[in-house]
Amino acid sequence: MCLDDQILNTYLDNELAEPWKSQVEEHLSYCSACKERFEQLKALKQTLQSAALTDEEIAPRQENVLRMISNTRFNTKRASFLRRQFKISIPAFATIAAAFVFVFVGAILHINNGSGNDFIPAAMDSAVDETNVSLVSDAGPAKTIYEYSPSLEEVLDYLDSLGYTVSVTKKGVEPFTFD
Amino acid sequence: MEMRSGDEAAFRQVYEQVFPVVMRVAFHVTYNMDVSEDICQDAFIRFFDKNMVFQTMDDAKFWLIRVTKNLAINHVKRKAREAASMEKLKQVTPTSSYKDGASELLFQETTENVRKAVSQLSEKYKTVIVLKEYAGLDYQQIGKVLNISESNVKVRVHRARKELEALLGMEN
Ligand SMILES: [Zn+2]
Repeated sequence: MCLDDQILNTYLDNELAEPWKSQVEEHLSYCSACKERFEQLKALKQTLQSAALTDEEIAPRQENVLRMISNTRFNTKRASFLRRQFKISIPAFATIAAAFVFVFVGAILHINNGSGNDFIPAAMDSAVDETNVSLVSDAGPAKTIYEYSPSLEEVLDYLDSLGYTVSVTKKGVEPFTFD
Repeated sequence: MEMRSGDEAAFRQVYEQVFPVVMRVAFHVTYNMDVSEDICQDAFIRFFDKNMVFQTMDDAKFWLIRVTKNLAINHVKRKAREAASMEKLKQVTPTSSYKDGASELLFQETTENVRKAVSQLSEKYKTVIVLKEYAGLDYQQIGKVLNISESNVKVRVHRARKELEALLGMEN
């Protein structure tokens, strides 16, 4: 008895188990009609596979998608840094800003005047201390900022890396721009 | 090798191996490169965000292929519905939707004919033939992805080839 297309297709896909596989092979060795039909089915399969999307066509798409996913999913360091910023309570953040103004404005005045520390604004020790600088954390009670701190430089570097121009002003002093 | 899909290192490993496969699946269902890229992106983002545990690389691969296949089939159905409702075409011919998607590519005559023929298959046959010839899955794996029996896969592969043979004029 000759072989039908379904058997031949299954054999072609290398999915035919023994003992049928050997029986098919034996039949194909002497039956030219079945052999011819098998070659046709094989040619069809090859024709189909020849139309497959190529690796060269895929490569740029693979890069595009990975770039997008990297940008939105893999930058966990930045994301956690940002999240931390949002947890700083508003009074604490205001205090950090104030401290920043003192430090940097003080430095500029010092350079411009060359006259010692006269123009540095009032000491910041009363503005920043562990009682009014705290972080709001979801892990238990608030901690002081000194236990884990993004330093002021880190905050500014971070904003700078994002392309922000940070500008802070203090009454009676020229605006200072950090960009 | 157990893995979490939301782990960057594991994700990259799966991505490297599986992206070409799912891109071929998406493309040979939609025959549109840009749509296929969007579909793959969608599938891999879901994969990452769901942070699922997979026992093997193959399990992760089959999950991605299943999601990609569904997104691609949905796209083709939506396109057909849109075309029908717009009534710009008297008849929604697979040829027209195929040409729409293939405009950016230059095909050899045979490649174009083959792709046109595949696009004309019914969803049931198109899916098995794409998974067989373009994703390189075996019958058992196709059954797993489509949630049908292995013997059902065998029958569909056979019938899909019969239709393709007729569409391509390769029958005698
Ligand atoms: Zn025979």
